[in-house]
Amino acid sequence: MCLAIPHKVIALKGANRALSLAGPVEVEIRTDLVPQIEVGDMVLVHAGFAIEKLLEEETEELEKLWEEIRELAGP
Amino acid sequence: MQALRPGDSRERIELLSKALHKLADRPIKVMEVCGTHTVSIFRQGLRALLPENCSLVSGPGCPVCVTSQGEIDAALSLAERENTIIATYGDMLRVPGTGTTLAEERSRGADVRVVTSADQALSLALNDRTRSVVFLAVGFETTAPATASVVLDAWREGLHNFMVLGLHKSVPPALGTLASDTDMDLDAFLLPGHVSVITGLAAYRFLPERWEIACAVAGFEAEGIMTALVEVARQIRIKRPRVASLYSRAVRPEGNGAARDVMDRVFTLGDAPWRGLGVIPSSGYFLKKEFARFDAVERLGVTVKEVPPPAGCRCGDVLKGLIDPPSCDLFGRSCTPVHPVGPCMVSTEGSCAAYYRFQKRGCPAWKD
Amino acid sequence: MSIGHGAGGSLTQELIDLIKGSFDGSPLADDEDCAILPGGFAVTIDGYTVSPLSFEGGDIGKLSICGSVNDLSVRGAKPLYLALGVIAEEGFPVRELLRYMESAASVCRSLGIELVTGDSKVVPGGQADGLFLSTCCLGRMERETPLGADNLRPGDAVIVTCPPGLHGATIAAHRYGLKVRGLSSDCAALWPMLKNILPVDGLRCMRDCTRGGLATVLCEWSEKARLGIEIDESLIPWDEAALSVCDILGFEPLHMAGEGCAAVAVEGEEAQRTLALLKEHDLGEKASIIGRVTREHPGLVGIRTYSGGTRLVDRPVGELLPRIC
Repeated sequence: MCLAIPHKVIALKGANRALSLAGPVEVEIRTDLVPQIEVGDMVLVHAGFAIEKLLEEETEELEKLWEEIRELAGP
Repeated sequence: MQALRPGDSRERIELLSKALHKLADRPIKVMEVCGTHTVSIFRQGLRALLPENCSLVSGPGCPVCVTSQGEIDAALSLAERENTIIATYGDMLRVPGTGTTLAEERSRGADVRVVTSADQALSLALNDRTRSVVFLAVGFETTAPATASVVLDAWREGLHNFMVLGLHKSVPPALGTLASDTDMDLDAFLLPGHVSVITGLAAYRFLPERWEIACAVAGFEAEGIMTALVEVARQIRIKRPRVASLYSRAVRPEGNGAARDVMDRVFTLGDAPWRGLGVIPSSGYFLKKEFARFDAVERLGVTVKEVPPPAGCRCGDVLKGLIDPPSCDLFGRSCTPVHPVGPCMVSTEGSCAAYYRFQKRGCPAWKD
Repeated sequence: MSIGHGAGGSLTQELIDLIKGSFDGSPLADDEDCAILPGGFAVTIDGYTVSPLSFEGGDIGKLSICGSVNDLSVRGAKPLYLALGVIAEEGFPVRELLRYMESAASVCRSLGIELVTGDSKVVPGGQADGLFLSTCCLGRMERETPLGADNLRPGDAVIVTCPPGLHGATIAAHRYGLKVRGLSSDCAALWPMLKNILPVDGLRCMRDCTRGGLATVLCEWSEKARLGIEIDESLIPWDEAALSVCDILGFEPLHMAGEGCAAVAVEGEEAQRTLALLKEHDLGEKASIIGRVTREHPGLVGIRTYSGGTRLVDRPVGELLPRIC
């Protein structure tokens, strides 16, 4: 229900706005919901608002699941 | 994230499909409850990769679709007002109310503006103080914090010409209604990726704990969705239902506190009508009394009546996952995306629209 | 009448059917991009209402020529003569109008097209969104055997000559306040490239992918020929910038308009040769074979997705609306 895509923050504008890039698209976004936002962060943006910072890697939990997946899928 | 990128290699997805085939050794029923998942699954052609035993049902995942007929009519009644700009997300434009749509009202002269952000709706009010702006605030937890933020802005600015028709709904209570419905007989939920970014995981714990339903929060790329299906199939097989998150790049277990704070500041939870599910307690976000002057219901006397859905429309049953869209008598006949009867066929995330667009008359198979 | 009726999808088709219903049917009106007349002439007419009037990669003047030229080119007709209609709003700056006329003239010059007649009107402010243009282009058939969807056979290859949806994405970016680096309309006259493949014997049909995008062209071909079409997402020469715009606004890239992008169907065995001929021209640099015509699922277009799954390709219903859900 929620179209949100990753954006890279390229500049902060005032207290609650930032300029961000989604691929080559430059958009001004609201940052009220991610108060610790910094230039260089990757954030998830929904309807013009950043809703969370994106982490670099998936976790251990996913890697463990993949071990099992490979086993199941088998030869 | 809704886009399909070569990051998901066909080989990895084939592995996931094979694993799923092995794990689903008995029929299992998984419900996805996020319209963006509905669309992603269809657009990426994933249903063709699922085993027979794995039945994937679409639930009430599209906020426009679950908006009741009475709420839609209330939104449409705004079109009759003088000197009023209706600011709305594009999703709402073609939804049929009783007798008309926002698009039709616009072609008759109503000032309906499509916005892609609540911030744009606020700007309309800031830039022209002589006109009233009413923002149609539809969406779940992913979208509600933005509305709350602009209401606070309007309050700080002392604006008198900005109002919100608050139609935001909360997902976890709806999941409770579905889980408790024994007719449904659900084994698992694919939990909404972006709603979970806001709510965190604790909000769903009652599902495995009280109802023994396996849960996995999924992202939107093909690989993420397939992995989540493998995860729930695995939980079912080993009889250990829990809330797993396969989208931890974005979803923190504790959710987004700042977003929930701003929602708590502006909204209070109340009983709300859901198309197909009836009135669900504490499932609607309503503006607190101190923000009454930004509430279209309070200021403009807009009322939400109880209105029956159009005759023959089975959107309610589709939204509950009780029937699949083609089982509705109107599907593909009097109800098509060009001439929709109910919101499930017109909303870009509606199950009926998804079935019709991507799977009517069976999915063509690729032969090498 | 709603905006959706003009968007090139199912609603537009309904409108066209209603309008045609008022006229006695002519066998010459065969629902292709231009009509072929007795004596080997071809004619087309188009209206241009684009907003903004000027955009990266072109303006309404350039668009008005390219659009009509392309309608002729895809049926194998060389564009020769042009009639131009101008409807301007009171108060529209003459200097700006002349800039667009120069753009249009420049395209005509490069193709050897003569402007032979025209008309201009001025309407009260607010009635023409600045400026509307209409062009009627007349040309001469340069291919003996006619091109059209009726020629399609199972096994034919489907080629697209450039990334789909560039024009639509460029206009959408303007409309919704997105600044996009490196995105520009593909607005171009296709005759110089397409004329090179006219001699290919096994050439079946061509269409320019305008309103409604590549999806609409393929759906129409499939329905008209009563055959299936299958394409592969990973073979389409996507443009990253256009895809990003679609991601943000929630648009389907296959529904976005191009204005210099053609779909070409050719006999399977001649596909590689046709591709090579297209690629010899600048406009065909990214041309790619994206799928084929099949006996299976007649009337339906299927796409194999990146993830190896399959789904239907549909037409857009009406107006393309950005969504948050």
